Amino acid sequence: MRETMIRALCAAVLSLGFALGAQAQQEVKIGVLYPLTGPAASSGAEMKNALELAADIINNGAKGVAGLPFANGGGLPNLKGAKIKLVFADHQGNPQTGATEAERLISQEKVAALVGAYNSNVTATASQVAERYQVPFLNPESSSASLTQRGFKWFFRTTPHDDLFVHNFFDFLKELEAKKKVKVGAIATFNENTLWGNETTKLEAKLAPDFGYAIVKQLTYPAKSTQLTSEVQTLKAASPSLVMQSSYLGDALLSMKTYKELGFAPDMILANNAGFTDTEFIKTLGKDAEYVITREVWALDLANRNPLIKEVNALYNSRHKANFTGNSSRTFTGLMVIADAINRAKSTEPEAVRKALTETNLPADALIMPWKGVKFDATGQNVLGRGILVQIVGGTYHTVYPFDLATQDVIWPMPKWDQRK
Amino acid sequence: MMKRTILFAALLALLVALPLVSSNPAHLNLAILVLMAAQLGVAWNILGGYAGQVSLGHAAFYGLGAYTSTMLLLNFGLNPWLGMLLGGVVAAALSLGFGWSCFRLKGHYFAMATIAVAEIVQIVFTNWDYAGGAVGLTIPMGERGWGAMVFADKAPYYWLALGLLALTVGATWAMERSHLGYYLRAIKDEPDAARSIGIAIARYKQIALALSAFFTALGGSLYAQKELYIDPGSVLSTALSIKMALVSILGGVGTLFGPVVGSVVLTTIEELTRAAFGGSGRGTDTMIYAALIVVIAVFYPSGLIGWWRERVRHRKARRAQLAANAEVAA
Amino acid sequence: MTAEILLQTLASGVLIGLIYALVAIGLTMIFGVMDIVNFAHGEFLMLGMYASFWLFALFALDPMLTLPLTVLMLFAFGVLLYKLVIRRIIDAPMLSQIFTTFGLMILLRGAAQFLWKPDFRSIENTWVSGSVKLFGIQLGQPQLAAGLGAIVVTWGVHQFLTRTKLGAALEATAADKEAAQLMGIDSHRMFALAWGIGAACAGAAGVLLATFFPIFPEVGANFILLAFVVVNLGGFGSVTGAFWAGILVGVIEVMGGLLLGPQYKLAVVLVLFLGVLMFRPQGLMGKA
Repeated sequence: MRETMIRALCAAVLSLGFALGAQAQQEVKIGVLYPLTGPAASSGAEMKNALELAADIINNGAKGVAGLPFANGGGLPNLKGAKIKLVFADHQGNPQTGATEAERLISQEKVAALVGAYNSNVTATASQVAERYQVPFLNPESSSASLTQRGFKWFFRTTPHDDLFVHNFFDFLKELEAKKKVKVGAIATFNENTLWGNETTKLEAKLAPDFGYAIVKQLTYPAKSTQLTSEVQTLKAASPSLVMQSSYLGDALLSMKTYKELGFAPDMILANNAGFTDTEFIKTLGKDAEYVITREVWALDLANRNPLIKEVNALYNSRHKANFTGNSSRTFTGLMVIADAINRAKSTEPEAVRKALTETNLPADALIMPWKGVKFDATGQNVLGRGILVQIVGGTYHTVYPFDLATQDVIWPMPKWDQRK
Repeated sequence: MMKRTILFAALLALLVALPLVSSNPAHLNLAILVLMAAQLGVAWNILGGYAGQVSLGHAAFYGLGAYTSTMLLLNFGLNPWLGMLLGGVVAAALSLGFGWSCFRLKGHYFAMATIAVAEIVQIVFTNWDYAGGAVGLTIPMGERGWGAMVFADKAPYYWLALGLLALTVGATWAMERSHLGYYLRAIKDEPDAARSIGIAIARYKQIALALSAFFTALGGSLYAQKELYIDPGSVLSTALSIKMALVSILGGVGTLFGPVVGSVVLTTIEELTRAAFGGSGRGTDTMIYAALIVVIAVFYPSGLIGWWRERVRHRKARRAQLAANAEVAA
Repeated sequence: MTAEILLQTLASGVLIGLIYALVAIGLTMIFGVMDIVNFAHGEFLMLGMYASFWLFALFALDPMLTLPLTVLMLFAFGVLLYKLVIRRIIDAPMLSQIFTTFGLMILLRGAAQFLWKPDFRSIENTWVSGSVKLFGIQLGQPQLAAGLGAIVVTWGVHQFLTRTKLGAALEATAADKEAAQLMGIDSHRMFALAWGIGAACAGAAGVLLATFFPIFPEVGANFILLAFVVVNLGGFGSVTGAFWAGILVGVIEVMGGLLLGPQYKLAVVLVLFLGVLMFRPQGLMGKA
């Protein structure tokens, strides 16, 4: 009798243990590594917002975004409704800090995966740590092409990279010439002397002759400049018809103001995202921002093809009184992709998640990006991504390329400063 | 004296054994950061503390070490151990030009000149394509082990950092007791008297600088081999130079273990506050860290070690006083 | 390289140089009077910019209008900072002084981010917006106003130092603290005054800058290194030295950028700076 009682007690305790064990899998921790302080902090802040929105949708659902995966909320279905818990870490724009924080997230916080880190040089070191620990690292925004050339097995990048973006530029120029019967003349490059700026310019210099274009001036200015007058002077003196510019916000603003002040108006300014697509750009420059074309990865007007874009943007806007940008939309998507992979893996075990990532095949209509989908190649690069070009007209960004996605015809050349109303 | 040596040996044994005891990689990483910052502080201290020349441009040597060993490795396949040594030599050699041009400057002017030199070095490397320019250099994680100075775990890096710190402390200790140390003390405390008895001030300052540069460069190579990626911003920035001086000042300049104490306190606080508050993005951790710097700089001008010594001395005096009073009363 | 381009570049160099000068004047005065290098000086600039911004954003008051108010606020802040922190390190070793102000620099930047977020702000459509054509060259009105403002403030400070009793007391303290004390001049009052004026000058530079430069917590970092160079070049403690050195640095920076490439413009300034120091360690107008 006593023995039976003991056996029953054991069984009860064991089953309770199992139940608790199952209950314990209520949370999936994902480490998110972004520049929350330091020079890129304003970008970091908006990406943090995007992540929190995505996690909230996954965990608690949202109305009006039926096409989005996990829109019903309730956590990850294949893990018994386990909720996503974001563990934020600030890398301050410093590669060593990024590596240290990645280390901490993996070994202390025991995150299932890492998402980050915006700055390409920090992504380089942080993903190195993840590779050592064999933990998946999902990179939604860093565009340095070299990141997927390291032979890593645990590194996955959803965003297209600079190589593709620069190809886009030249494809656009060729198609533009054919379509509008204009001639693109001499090109000048103008970039900030940092990793991203330099890599972009190198690519531009390499590809231009392949497409039959001549680069007559390559101008590099130091970060943290107090003025750009002599730079713009030099640019003006080279008389380019097209300026390909890579600047972060501060210099983007400074250079545009100096262009106006010195009356410098080439046929077009073709910018490479970053500062030119920051929310502050149009806000600060107002009318003076008009006609600039910039590479982008997201635009609100693409909602006409994919209503999900507008729906999710409405959610973001209602919380933060601003629209998505190329950065925040990619970050949002990044979290969705990793959540999808963990869900399909039915586990947070690293190898299972990695395998699930390699099998990712998200269709275009499940995304808020103008991509053909998300599918990673052997180097971990999403091959279905694409960039777009937007032009600022009437105070908003309008998609002008690829031409089959364009909502508006491209205005070329830019009107001279004194000819603008 | 014997007691101190035993205590010291015990502590050292404990430090060496740490990775075997604690398996938490994040804790080990923190320890490595503390050790690396301490080593840089001790190296800086040779010039800043003992010779009394405040340099705020030591990152130049750090970066030179990192870039020399990395470029030799990537372009010529040179073994990083050798590269590290060469990096130290390069830094020491370049410090000669540095010293020759700057040593006649006094106090704030000298400090400013060192900032200028380091900034120039950073600009050079930012624009030097062969050195990777602004894009930086990546060390591929191919071969691992002590031969290649690249490891998958943290423990070997820990021992490497500990070893380097011990080496730098040892060199400082040896210098302290040598003629050089004696002359430097004279130069620092009574420069006019020193000159009047014929001490070649410039020469000894230069030697101190070369030593300081050498060890700082070694630290730079270690960083490169640990993070496997360097760019001008991460190894040549003025912020780094300031940190090297900071740990020494907070711990106590001109003392053997001042920089170590300073590093323990400063690095730990920096990392812990960031881990605790950094995720919010409000910058709370930065403010706490900064407030700490201000408090220590204001209230403990001779550093934590200086403060400790003062306390010990004060307590001894009190005890002596009480004993004397007791005697009188009895 | 036409004459027009050279003239244009020269003009913009002078104008930005005047801003450097204004920032440096406060810095050099603080050093001259109490031998302290204020690493946090760029943050006074930043606070001046934010003060202008908030007055503009909340009350629609033009920065030029609120300039006196902002200057006064920064003066008070400088004095406050002196009384709370700096007073305690007057006789501390140089290193402690350096690191106190360095810590303050980080603290103020962190506080700015904490309070006002890291987003970039800007002031648009002010009284001085737009540009004018003078002698065939384009000059931005904000920059012109800033340059003029810098000249006015410098002249004002110079007059204060040379023509008023208080200014003379300040100079006396700078020259010999003990002797000045013996003559009845309260050093602490002078130090507080120096800090106040230093902060006020940097604050004024901030207001003038805010009409054309983006405003963000770390903006001080863009100017502080050049400010140090200017102070050093002009000679620690010399207001006139800082003024002329500022203009010189501005011109060298833009001309260096034009002739050698913008990525080297700072290097040109620094190399020339080191060159001057080697032959004239006390700077152009400093005391030997």
